[in-house]
Amino acid sequence: MHRPISQTSIARLRVASPSGTLPARIIRPTILSDLRPLIVLHGISRNADELVALFTPEAERSGRIVVVPHFAQRRWPHFQRPCRAARPDQALLALLGHLAVMNPAFAGPVDLFGHSGGAQLAHRFAMLYPHKVGRLNLAAAGWYCLPDASMTYPYGLGGDATPGALCWARRHEQALPAYLRLGVQVFVGTHDTDRDDSLRQCPDLDRIQGHTRIARAGTYVERFRAAARARGILPEITLIRLPGVTHNVAQAIRQAHLGRLVTAGEPPRLAAAS
Amino acid sequence: MTQDVLAPLTTAKWTFATRRVDHGLIGGMDTAFAAARPGDLILAQVESLGQHQRVQLSSGRPSYIYPGDMIVLACGARYAPDQFEGLAEIDPDGADLLAGGGCIGRMVARNERIKNATRLLPVGRLLDDAGEPVNLDRFALPPTDRTNDIPVVFVLGTAMNSGKTLATAQLALGLRRAGYKVAALKGTGTGAFGDFNEYSDTGAHWVADFTDAGMVTTYREPLARVKDGLNLLLGHAAERGCDIAVMEIADGLFQRETGALVADPWLRDRLSGLVFACGDAVAAAGGVAELARHGLRPDALTGILSCSPMAAAEAMSATGVPVLRKGDLADPAEANVFALRAFAGTRRAA
Repeated sequence: MHRPISQTSIARLRVASPSGTLPARIIRPTILSDLRPLIVLHGISRNADELVALFTPEAERSGRIVVVPHFAQRRWPHFQRPCRAARPDQALLALLGHLAVMNPAFAGPVDLFGHSGGAQLAHRFAMLYPHKVGRLNLAAAGWYCLPDASMTYPYGLGGDATPGALCWARRHEQALPAYLRLGVQVFVGTHDTDRDDSLRQCPDLDRIQGHTRIARAGTYVERFRAAARARGILPEITLIRLPGVTHNVAQAIRQAHLGRLVTAGEPPRLAAAS
Repeated sequence: MTQDVLAPLTTAKWTFATRRVDHGLIGGMDTAFAAARPGDLILAQVESLGQHQRVQLSSGRPSYIYPGDMIVLACGARYAPDQFEGLAEIDPDGADLLAGGGCIGRMVARNERIKNATRLLPVGRLLDDAGEPVNLDRFALPPTDRTNDIPVVFVLGTAMNSGKTLATAQLALGLRRAGYKVAALKGTGTGAFGDFNEYSDTGAHWVADFTDAGMVTTYREPLARVKDGLNLLLGHAAERGCDIAVMEIADGLFQRETGALVADPWLRDRLSGLVFACGDAVAAAGGVAELARHGLRPDALTGILSCSPMAAAEAMSATGVPVLRKGDLADPAEANVFALRAFAGTRRAA
């Protein structure tokens, strides 16, 4: 039987930014659909290679261009959130800007997917630059920046005495209405219950966001909805529980079809609340 | 033997202010200098060097000048408290190089810390084939039908050299990094390539100044003409696909045209963001108070002030307005605050 050979190409790219160089792989399927490009952000295991392998079939199936950056440990010891120590947001912007020169699809909003630490970066990037984001897909973030003042920055947008925190809270605050208008899918495995060393734990975080990633995802979705409604915005955020999945992105993709859920076309948008 | 009166033009140095001029339209010269009006092209010979030892060429590089050099400039006034005040008048016996960007006129005041103006001998006023004076306004950007509806962040300041140009360039850089197509515009002042080039170096999508609207300087131009020029630049920025504009307004709030603009409803209508550059906390407080008198409140203070953490803290305490350093303005996360505020139309009243 004749089997067509996949022509999906995987190109390597390195982009310099004011805060450092970021390598990335660009997965370009044989047949392109009109779906937005998807940026896939790894977590603290920095398993970009594995994500390239896992998302290549999804790129082929959906016709999306998928971009997988790699925040290497040596150059990017911190990459989960923009802060004084690291500016992964600037690197992502530089990557998008570079890609936009070659492909106008990257000039407009792109979809974001992040797992664990990558989900942290994804939602914080979207909070700062909502105009660059189409749909936001967050899987199993350890904790969130809540879109309200219930916690001080970086756990929320409440101010504290430090100038840095005030500065970042102010920057996020301005973008909040546009952020709350984004379509968001939040994923978490039903077995993602470990409180291991990779999960940030402190009394306020546990008390307000919850003890596990499952609880924290639920809190985030609730707060997102409340913040949106408080501004007259109809929230478009969904919490999707992945049956039997632990804190393991490969398992989530292979067993619960997370990749397909992320790369599928989005449902029609509902009208905004008046 | 016939004499080619245009022969000196072949070796003349064409200055930045004349960069839009089609040299092929020059058909002759006269010496009716008394009739020269702002923007008329003047061929002049360097007589003696003073403050300006170089001119800015239309090609974008500076050129040393030497006595005897031929230069093409535009008749114009100048307002530069750190240098000269001058009028758009050409004395046939000798004129002043008021600005290295290519402005010739009569100096009427000079900052004590600088030398006298470089002296120029007017050679002729350039004419077209029909004998009409060739004026910069003929080479302005064409009118555009496009509504000049893109948001504008204005950059104002206390005075010349307070940090406005750097602020404009750095904010344009930050907005470009945040993914926007930015127009970096010099709205008023006297034509010079320093600001223009500094804007261009940021990778702004489109860069222009009032010389693109046909003026060598906006000093002593009627406010209506200045505003027409600003609208023309913004219209072209929109037509070129820019998402947002950053526009520098020259000199301080009390300068004639800047003061008139600040007081004019046009500025309030077009303003989507406001940055104020100043040198110290007292200047910040004075500037914020003066702007408040016109119903304006800056979104940020910057400039020389921002280099000093102590001065910045004093200014923030006195005005309640955040102080941003150049690195902050160039930071896409900070610049995006201006863009998002502009697109949302959520400016605070004073």
